[in-house]
Amino acid sequence: MERPIFQPLGTPALELDTPALVVDLDLMEQNIQVVHSVFDDSNAVLRPHVSCHGCPNIARAQVAARNAQGIAVSTVGEAEVFCQAGFTDVFVANQVVTRPKIRRLCALAHSAAIAVAVDNSDNLALLSSLAAEAGVTLGLWVELDAGQARCGVAPGSDAVDLARAVVAADSVEFRGLTISEPTSPLSDSDLSTPDIAGLVQPVLETARWLEQTSTPVPGISIAASYDYIQASAIGGVTEVQASVYPLGDHQFCRRRRELSRAARILASVLSHPVPHRAVVDAGHKATGPDLGVAFAEGIPGAVAARFSAEHGILDLVGPATARLHPNDKIWLTPYNLSLCVNQYDYFRAVRHGRLEGFWPIASRGRFD
Amino acid sequence: MDQSYRPPVGTPVEDLDTPCLVLDLDALDHNMDVMADYYRDRSSKLRGHSKNHKTPAIATRQIRRGGTVGGVCAAKVSEAEVMVHGGIPSVLVTSEIVAPSKIERLCALARQAEVIVACESEANASDLSRAAASQGVELGVLIEQETGLLRCGVQDPGQGVTLARRISELPGLAFRGIMSHQMMAQPSSDREERAIEGRRIIQGVIDFKDALESAGLPVEIVSTGETWSYDIAGEIPGVTEIQGGTYLLMETAYSYMEDFQFAGRVLSTIISTPREGVAVGDAGIRAVGAMKGVPAVADRPGVVCERLDLDHAVFRVGPETSLRVGDQLSLIPGQQDAMVSRWDRFIGLRNGKVEEVWDITARGCHS
Repeated sequence: MERPIFQPLGTPALELDTPALVVDLDLMEQNIQVVHSVFDDSNAVLRPHVSCHGCPNIARAQVAARNAQGIAVSTVGEAEVFCQAGFTDVFVANQVVTRPKIRRLCALAHSAAIAVAVDNSDNLALLSSLAAEAGVTLGLWVELDAGQARCGVAPGSDAVDLARAVVAADSVEFRGLTISEPTSPLSDSDLSTPDIAGLVQPVLETARWLEQTSTPVPGISIAASYDYIQASAIGGVTEVQASVYPLGDHQFCRRRRELSRAARILASVLSHPVPHRAVVDAGHKATGPDLGVAFAEGIPGAVAARFSAEHGILDLVGPATARLHPNDKIWLTPYNLSLCVNQYDYFRAVRHGRLEGFWPIASRGRFD
Repeated sequence: MDQSYRPPVGTPVEDLDTPCLVLDLDALDHNMDVMADYYRDRSSKLRGHSKNHKTPAIATRQIRRGGTVGGVCAAKVSEAEVMVHGGIPSVLVTSEIVAPSKIERLCALARQAEVIVACESEANASDLSRAAASQGVELGVLIEQETGLLRCGVQDPGQGVTLARRISELPGLAFRGIMSHQMMAQPSSDREERAIEGRRIIQGVIDFKDALESAGLPVEIVSTGETWSYDIAGEIPGVTEIQGGTYLLMETAYSYMEDFQFAGRVLSTIISTPREGVAVGDAGIRAVGAMKGVPAVADRPGVVCERLDLDHAVFRVGPETSLRVGDQLSLIPGQQDAMVSRWDRFIGLRNGKVEEVWDITARGCHS
């Protein structure tokens, strides 16, 4: 467990004990407003995918905003945490295949609307029989592989067969068709985002096929964090799952310039042993650079170069060589939000530069 | 954390809910015994690094098996606190501690255990001294020397001698010696190659020690070396402590260290077999880490991890083997401490059953 010093509310952000994961509430609220407003003119609702921040306080702000419907998570453990925090419409956007996990899912369905993705008929049979045993109904989304090369049944006849089997099965309710987040590699040189309309096309065709053969498709839910605007405008799509947007991160905000970097790591300089190098107290355990290193902000000439387990190393040129003395602070924007959040137990919530609260990252580590 | 998965002792591995972080206890004990046997009758000893496992129960287990100084290294003040609260009587904090509030915590800890800290500057030494003197405690101080990591540390012995003299004059501080950390630029399983590289780097540390002693400053502790050089640093006269951490759980990046076995793994379940030759598992980067590439798949010839997404692993499955939804796989990480720092519990396995469950109480201790 992180062992933060619970400094008094009102403490200036720059006096927080470091390393600290800080969320700027004004920027977060502004981000939520920007994204949710896009759905004013859409037939689709926005389903916030909350695994990336794991924080019920933030999820509540998302659900309370316009055009929102329920939440999505990645694991049963996360669903348990959010149900316990009062959420009553939760989609586990993943396959849940083992008996103990399906039983946990069914337990949640006694007090919340629980849905899960399915991509094969054996799994469907198990979900159906365990839901019947528990006396609950699980919502099921048939997951299609629209080119993500991960889970999902192939669009077309395989998907049609599985959807019909869902409709026919006991104790489950067919919710519709879903696709998960496109996983095309994101490089810093190529700022393009996946072509969501192209990905959704085979899903729409599969839905048409089902409807023409008298199997109504109640919904089409697509995960499109990067392309939420485009996704909101596709006819037939009923909900868009989006993550990252409340807080942003380096890779996201470079592509979504209408949104701000609301979550950053406050780090302290430990050492400035030679002019061209400073070392800070946030290493890879405190920044999560698995996919890319955090970005140093605000000090011209200072570049976050590498992160060892416990230390971050800044390369310094020009005026920066004379700055950054021990105990000076620096802000780092995580490259990937969820890999950074995954390492903390609390957000330090800050407004106008002062501490407003410690917000638990309640589902951190709940990979189960 | 309190609600995260804790299976009862005796649970068969095939009944474990996944993903979960498991320890092969035979491998863990083997790795501990390699160190215990090597250092038992030497003048140099192991001071295991707790940043890797973050678990007092594991630190205690190594100390009881032998070969150690009877204490641990810690990377952060909060980590040191957890170790002391977990019963470890001596902690070397291997980072410079410069924030006033953290120095106060370090001094408070020195009332409960032996506390030694790395230092590289006179300004920091003065801050440490002021706090220790006002709290009425003594902090041990090691000067950190830069020997190739391009991170912290004094750059040359002359600078270090001046600093050591200053530290030895300051109230509340005891100058205890020096420390330095090194990586092997070109990993090799050939002991002779490791020995040449290890001796070359560590010679700089010995030169620094000699310079201090020539200046009349006694050097009680020379702390250097780590997993890749444990059997080299341990034989260099003058080295008193070795800071090993990776050896305990091991990782694919250290597979060239053949004395040690892979003990730390993430157990994962196949959740989808969407296409011929492809299987998808329930553990991704968030659970395993990807600092040093994709994990290796243990004991499943023909199955290769091709890609890690945030919450999934995509496996290529060879024609001679088959994987079904519900099958378990055991993943060996590229880097163990980057894996451990994501989890709240170790589930210790022996003979296919749960034998121990340990809380990773220093997880998240970044401050």
